[in-house]
Amino acid sequence: MKFIASTWAIVVKDVRSELRTRYALNALLMFVVTSVATILFALRDDELNPEILSGMFWVVIFFTAMSGLSRIFVSEEERGTTMTLQLVASPSEVYFGKLIFNSGLTLMLSSAVTVLYVVVFPAFVIKSPLIFVFTVFWGSLGFAAAATMIAAVIAKANTKGTLYPVLSFPILIPLLMTVMKSTARALDGELFTAASGEFQILVSYLLVMTAGSYLLFDYVWKE
Amino acid sequence: MKAVKYLSIIFVTFVIIAGIAIPMVPQPQSLLEFPIIPGLEDKARNIFFHVPVAWTSVLGFLVALYYGFIYLRTKNLDYDTKSVSAAGLGMMFCLLATVTGSIWAKFNWGSFWNWDPRETSIFILLLIYGAYFALRSALGSDEVRARLSAVYAILAGLTAPFFIFIMPRIVGGLHPGAKGDTSGSTPVAQLHMPPNMRFVFFAGLIGFSLLFIWLLNVRIRVARMEHQLSIKEH
Amino acid sequence: MCEFLSQNQLYIVLCITLLIWLGIVWYLIRLDKKIGQLEKQLKKD
Repeated sequence: MKFIASTWAIVVKDVRSELRTRYALNALLMFVVTSVATILFALRDDELNPEILSGMFWVVIFFTAMSGLSRIFVSEEERGTTMTLQLVASPSEVYFGKLIFNSGLTLMLSSAVTVLYVVVFPAFVIKSPLIFVFTVFWGSLGFAAAATMIAAVIAKANTKGTLYPVLSFPILIPLLMTVMKSTARALDGELFTAASGEFQILVSYLLVMTAGSYLLFDYVWKE
Repeated sequence: MKAVKYLSIIFVTFVIIAGIAIPMVPQPQSLLEFPIIPGLEDKARNIFFHVPVAWTSVLGFLVALYYGFIYLRTKNLDYDTKSVSAAGLGMMFCLLATVTGSIWAKFNWGSFWNWDPRETSIFILLLIYGAYFALRSALGSDEVRARLSAVYAILAGLTAPFFIFIMPRIVGGLHPGAKGDTSGSTPVAQLHMPPNMRFVFFAGLIGFSLLFIWLLNVRIRVARMEHQLSIKEH
Repeated sequence: MCEFLSQNQLYIVLCITLLIWLGIVWYLIRLDKKIGQLEKQLKKD
């Protein structure tokens, strides 16, 4: 199927160019480390309850994502390769290719943050691993879906850096609220079924964002 | 259009007079008396003004979204003009709704801001309007700006159902119709209003909507003239 | 009349609100007329 081959080719191209420079990976990792360190200094000996920790967990992921996920489209603009990409692949192939790349990046990012949090914060004990894994997985995918679309929207704007979080935040709020609640449940050790409401929201958010972005991507990508 | 202008003046004037002047008594006997709601008393009159303004800010967003969508289909820049005019009005009404709601909250619930779901929703709407205009100011070409702002408006519109239907489920709140409230969980809460109050309330909704249409019409005409003049200069 | 108003202070609010509202309406009507005139002028050119 030509569609899958094209889409996968775009993913491979982005992965290869990323591995060549390692720019995004390094920047994101450093961002994560510095954010967690700052939080550690700020909340040194305070009583850290699950709500605060789960909130801070996603704050770090949000800001790291905002610093890194826009690169997929911005780098194309900067290198002048946008037009080539428009000629070579159809909009949906470009969209899904970039989405898969960003999803992978976000999953890696949230795993890194998880590891750091478990190591650095003794109060960060994941009592319900199933809820946690489910939340982080679907939450990261939802993040990537929304963030990729907004990245495409701001790729041609003037003040990309500051515009990206400003545009993304309102779109991501439903996801953030749900995911913070669900992570707090995971830290509290609740049953898997207690978070079923949140899981429904996470999955539906991912579906709605992906479907909406897919339909709208044509208008963003083509002149 | 003339009908819209006259009707809007009539409706809003009626709401101001009826909303403020009709007395509140413990046992209303006639149509010209409102019941006293315990805990709210005279402050309940805010309902006739605060809710229509909040509704109008949502209306502004819906109209901007609609015209943005039509622009994407037809590529006619006039629709982008209509879209941004509606968004500007919507943002103004959103600011008013947030401020009036906050003032009312201070006197009713104790503090200016509580992160009650409906408060959060109007705040998010404000963020969406802000983001919309930030995006527009960062784009130079008319066509690109029109296209991308329409896309963003639609994307933001996609998240709306989450706020309207889902948030009140997750987070309990102070507004009527939130999780802990037994009087129903519809997005527009079923306020138990006697028929005469409901009449004034709906008159307010209609009056402010008509006012919105009039203001929008004025803004669009001005924007079109500016566009014509800028073409003439070249 | 002053006694009536000092007893039923809500009506003071009503008068003020009506004043503000009718002022805004008058401004709007003036603005609308001015725009109509400008539109006619532009059409002539």
